[in-house]
Amino acid sequence: MTTTLEHTKTASIPQGGGLARRQNFLTGLIGGAIFAWLFWFLAHHFLDATSRTWSDEVAASVTLGWIIGFWLGIGALNAPGRWLIGKNNTRADDLYLAGQGQGKSRYWKFTTDHKVVGVQYIIMTMVLLGSGGILAMAIRTELIVPGNHFVNQQVYNGFIAVHGMLMILALIVAVAGPWGNFVMPIMCGARDMAFPRLNALSLWTLVGAAALLLTTLAVGSLTMGWVVLEPIANQAGVGMDFFAMAIIVFTVSTTVAGVNTICTVLTMRTKGMTLSRLPIFVWGAIIAAALGLYAFPYFSLVEAMTLMDRTFSTSFFVANAGGEGWLQANLFWLMGHPEVYVILLPAVAALFEIAAVMSRKPVFSYRTAVAGMTGLAGLSILVWAHHMFTTGWAPTLGGPFMLTTELISIPTGLFFLVLIGTLWRGNIWMKLPTVWMFGFIANFIIAGVTGIYLSDIPLDDQLHGTMFVTAHFHYVFVGSVLFGAVAALAFWFPKVTGRYLNEFLGRISFWLVFIGVQVTFLAMFASGLKGMPRRYSSYALIFEHTNFITTIGAYIIMAGMLVLLGAVITSWNKGEPSGPNPWHANSLEWLVPTPPPLENFDVLPVITEDPYNYGEELVRS
Amino acid sequence: MTTSNNKKSYRGLFLTWAILTIAGALVGIFGPSRLMPRSMSDNMHLTILTMVVFTVAAAPVAAGVYASALYALRHWAHKGSEVPPSGPAVRENAMFVTTWLIVSTLLTVFLLIWGLGALAVDNSSTGKNPLVVDVTGQQWVWSFSYPGTHVSSPQLYLPDNREVEFRVTSKDVTHGFWIVNMGIQVDANVGVITTIHTTPDKLGLFNIRCEQFCGLNHAFMVTVGHVLTPSQFASWLSSQPQQA
Repeated sequence: MTTTLEHTKTASIPQGGGLARRQNFLTGLIGGAIFAWLFWFLAHHFLDATSRTWSDEVAASVTLGWIIGFWLGIGALNAPGRWLIGKNNTRADDLYLAGQGQGKSRYWKFTTDHKVVGVQYIIMTMVLLGSGGILAMAIRTELIVPGNHFVNQQVYNGFIAVHGMLMILALIVAVAGPWGNFVMPIMCGARDMAFPRLNALSLWTLVGAAALLLTTLAVGSLTMGWVVLEPIANQAGVGMDFFAMAIIVFTVSTTVAGVNTICTVLTMRTKGMTLSRLPIFVWGAIIAAALGLYAFPYFSLVEAMTLMDRTFSTSFFVANAGGEGWLQANLFWLMGHPEVYVILLPAVAALFEIAAVMSRKPVFSYRTAVAGMTGLAGLSILVWAHHMFTTGWAPTLGGPFMLTTELISIPTGLFFLVLIGTLWRGNIWMKLPTVWMFGFIANFIIAGVTGIYLSDIPLDDQLHGTMFVTAHFHYVFVGSVLFGAVAALAFWFPKVTGRYLNEFLGRISFWLVFIGVQVTFLAMFASGLKGMPRRYSSYALIFEHTNFITTIGAYIIMAGMLVLLGAVITSWNKGEPSGPNPWHANSLEWLVPTPPPLENFDVLPVITEDPYNYGEELVRS
Repeated sequence: MTTSNNKKSYRGLFLTWAILTIAGALVGIFGPSRLMPRSMSDNMHLTILTMVVFTVAAAPVAAGVYASALYALRHWAHKGSEVPPSGPAVRENAMFVTTWLIVSTLLTVFLLIWGLGALAVDNSSTGKNPLVVDVTGQQWVWSFSYPGTHVSSPQLYLPDNREVEFRVTSKDVTHGFWIVNMGIQVDANVGVITTIHTTPDKLGLFNIRCEQFCGLNHAFMVTVGHVLTPSQFASWLSSQPQQA
């Protein structure tokens, strides 16, 4: 195995290939800038020469130019282009594209190796979480005392929209991105994803979308919340066009990634890797990917309709021209609720994996785990209107949607059954991933119980639109998904770097974030119960104390996340060496060398049993 | 572990569960009425009661998860850098899974029955001569008018113990009409009239806030209302300037 590794390292860099082999992130930025300018020039000249320099039409054109130029500049379209002119990629071309012999520079390129893409997703998750986190701190700082002191209301409203969307993007990719790419193909016994070039395309398209989203704050006012409420989105400035296009581009990225994940699991499994022998994380990844394929088209559709209302004078959502805000709400939440489970399922599945390995036991009731995840995904497409109980849309459907929503607690309860059942009577190895997993269990029960209140219409008629809802979904996203994501990071970090994530710093970070989450969001529940609506830039004096506590808690979370960032940076090159299989696990990703060589396996393995045979060695011998 | 030890330690698990359940139930019984705004209508009484019932019902479930997790940490945690030996190879336990499914289904059915029942009470109109109030939202003020009287007011005045039907609409973007002390909410949509009912049953001042994000001054789209005795209400109504 080691010879393969050295071979990869010492292989001479293929010569020639011209410009196409020198493309990287920088040429992508240059290409994006050139095309953005070109599209601005053309749009301004033909559509808008007489009016403002920066209309909705021009803004939408610029965003389109940016993403096309970025794709061209980074080389995303090279291979299809070569195919068009009859020059298919050779094996050497493909190996070069996979990053063979290019050292660290391959992380800045359109590289197809799934492990490189996985590392790029780790970095993207950190960038998105970091920028969303800075906005969160700005929002909480503004809310530390009543009145508007630090940012003006216009800017504040932009912050809440962009904070929300950045964090949603960050969490959609937080587990499925790094680990669905880095370890999932190895777990299946595959040499790469089914479509390696599409894999790189999904990553760099996400980068393009994130760049658009980050520029929205600079180009114009955003007065519509992250859900892009209509008809108020029509009052937003050109930042709205960037925002909508960022989402459309993002859905291209998730669609490509989802198709790739599903095809990889269905077609690339090695011999003997039957569906019932799949590591449970792979099930989580494929169910989430399938759910994403159902949900995200609504996302691009609704944003495209918003863009058309703004640029083509359609009136999907313009009430006084025959449109309806409820249409936007329906389309958005048709995406919005399944999306919560697209975010949650990979994290939960990773925790099942971690629970089994760290407690040295098989996953308890594997089939229940798969059924729970599938059931949750299926139910989640039938609950969207619980976000609209108080909108006045179809009051007669309240009962049916309350029914489907409350049924969700049954598959969610199965997650606790599997986790607790797996830990029960195990020998629980208290390492960093285990610690964060216990944090997840503690927070997820609060997230679940508060969700039940909101599913009940008489209660929702009081709590909807308040800080109670905000606190509830932050317990889901920060308290649960983020904890699962950090557990997954601590668990698979040694496979990426060959080193442990620093245990000491990791535990300090855990306690800060865990305590911070309770302080921040329990106080936020209190604000909501007292009657404080969400998306407030200022508030009445009766909400003073709970908001102050929430802001202090938010700073504690920030401190914890900075410690975690410090742990990742210091451990990456200087951490304690871990060897290829630090947790003594049996799934395939731990049986290849660290770092795994290009194409992972010398000879594809043949599978005879699932990876959870802890304690069964004795029985068999 | 011997059997007697096992029994002894499971007693610890049960005790932890019982203590946490009682703590959760106490929070559920005393928390909502202390934290939530003063209740001034039948809907709000039902809201607070539902909050109490759901919290008390959830307490044993949440306590079960916490107690099991704490128990696992206390008895089976292995520290140190050496990998612990394998645990028991338990893959399935049909009894446990079935019990879990039945219990969680029963709890869900209870929530549903309660919820659907409460919903039927909550949404029902007595149909006995309700007072109709037209509510109009616009950025960033509310206005209330009383059909048949030409009276319009930026504050809401309601008589005690008489059902009110709100007919809610908006002039510009979607707003959220929320009477904080009465547990009722409905969006004010452009070009549509949405209705909600409630019956105020306490005299005094109450808060109205916009709960749907509506732009720059969303946080300041607030007003107050007053519940008056029927005679006070009649005299207030007749003292108001008639608007065209």
